[in-house]
Amino acid sequence: MNRFENFKAGLIKDNPVFSLYLGICSTLAITTTVNNAIGMGAAVIMVLIMSNVIISAIRKIVPDEIRIPVYIVIIATLVKIIQMLIEAYAPALNTSLGVFIPLIVVNCIILGRAEAFASKHGIADSALDGLGMGLGYTLAVVAMSFIREVLATGVLNIVNPFNEAQVWINVTLIPEAYTIPLFNSPVGAFVTFAFLAAVIGAYKKHADEKAAKAEEVK
Amino acid sequence: MPVQTIVGAILLFGGLVAVYIFLFLMNKKTPLPPGCENLKADCEGCKDLSCMNNPHHDKRKGGSVV
Amino acid sequence: MSELVTLLVTSVLINNVVLNQFLGMCPFMGVSRKRSSAIGMGVAVMFVIVVAALVTYALYYLVLVPLNLQFMDLITFILVIASLVQLTEMFIKKTSPSLYKSLGVYLPLITTNCVVLNVCLVNISNSYNFAQMLVYSIGTPLGFALVLYIFSTIRERLDIANVPNPLKGNPIALIVAAIMAMAFSGFAGIV
Repeated sequence: MNRFENFKAGLIKDNPVFSLYLGICSTLAITTTVNNAIGMGAAVIMVLIMSNVIISAIRKIVPDEIRIPVYIVIIATLVKIIQMLIEAYAPALNTSLGVFIPLIVVNCIILGRAEAFASKHGIADSALDGLGMGLGYTLAVVAMSFIREVLATGVLNIVNPFNEAQVWINVTLIPEAYTIPLFNSPVGAFVTFAFLAAVIGAYKKHADEKAAKAEEVK
Repeated sequence: MPVQTIVGAILLFGGLVAVYIFLFLMNKKTPLPPGCENLKADCEGCKDLSCMNNPHHDKRKGGSVV
Repeated sequence: MSELVTLLVTSVLINNVVLNQFLGMCPFMGVSRKRSSAIGMGVAVMFVIVVAALVTYALYYLVLVPLNLQFMDLITFILVIASLVQLTEMFIKKTSPSLYKSLGVYLPLITTNCVVLNVCLVNISNSYNFAQMLVYSIGTPLGFALVLYIFSTIRERLDIANVPNPLKGNPIALIVAAIMAMAFSGFAGIV
């Protein structure tokens, strides 16, 4: 598989969230608003690229047996840096994401990519993989939060994360009488996730079957 | 940031790592109890085949994606 | 005293760690196939959380705060948890082979279990006192083990049910979790 295909696969077919079921905890919790989802996605992309690059750079000097604790310490350091930056420059985001920023440390996407990709590939490839997987995560949380926010409140509201008062988008898509507040609750999170995962799973199966058929014809 | 804080942070980190390495080595030296040599957790929570606990881990060793 | 009871009920049922705060989803879906593994995982998590919470709470207030090293919290906590997992594994190996058989295999999975780190962080960020910390650290894994056990019993029946193809596996498990969350939201009124 060449570099670009690998990058593209992370977006939909092998989406880390809906196809591999990695990082479900934060996906379910922070997708109440699109704002939160964008902020969380950006934080994950930054941590993922940096951790992939560092782990790829040290992959030859880390003994195989203790690699997991080494990775966790590196990731924890990076997450703390990102957390402090968010605390300083986007305090509103810090309040609404809460404990889920420090919990990026134990987000399986980061450790999973370090283990599966960055520990075996070069620095440039690993950075690209981090970007692809990070974007896949962001795409997943933004899609899910869009569905939940619009169904629950009827309004799509996006503000500047660095300055709350500056509203970028604020449109009413569904009149208030027809909204379903259930989607704001945990029940809505589980149901939305289940159906999105089922759709992606069905698409993946279809794509795999098509590829297998094309192989047979050859 | 004062120097004491930086030295303290480094000492704390070094201490924690030393404790971890000590416990890791002690744990490695302790033999498995009889009858527990081939236990596996078989966690199917995610489809990340690079994870050691995935029951399908051995089928495709270290695949880059999935 | 009544305040502590309220905290216990809240952390076990109302703010359930899986169904309300969405933490520990990986073991929730991963090791809920069999009832025996759900019990093993639940007990192992409970043990590690209580010990980890005590150690990190002590370290934070006795070492990090006096030395002004609060920014080291995340790294300290994750290293403490990793060390404790090694210690627990060694201890169980030495003392009881049968316990190792039922709990030991889940211990490596716990290092990256987000419930453990979450409890350690929340104890600090909510500035709990010692008694509150203890109650919260026991109540949260209790809620986790309870939900994991209930879910595993449902899942044993789910295996023989006729589920639409695309929903097989994790999606139907999530829908079951949604229904459980709906049931658990009924507890909101008891406090």
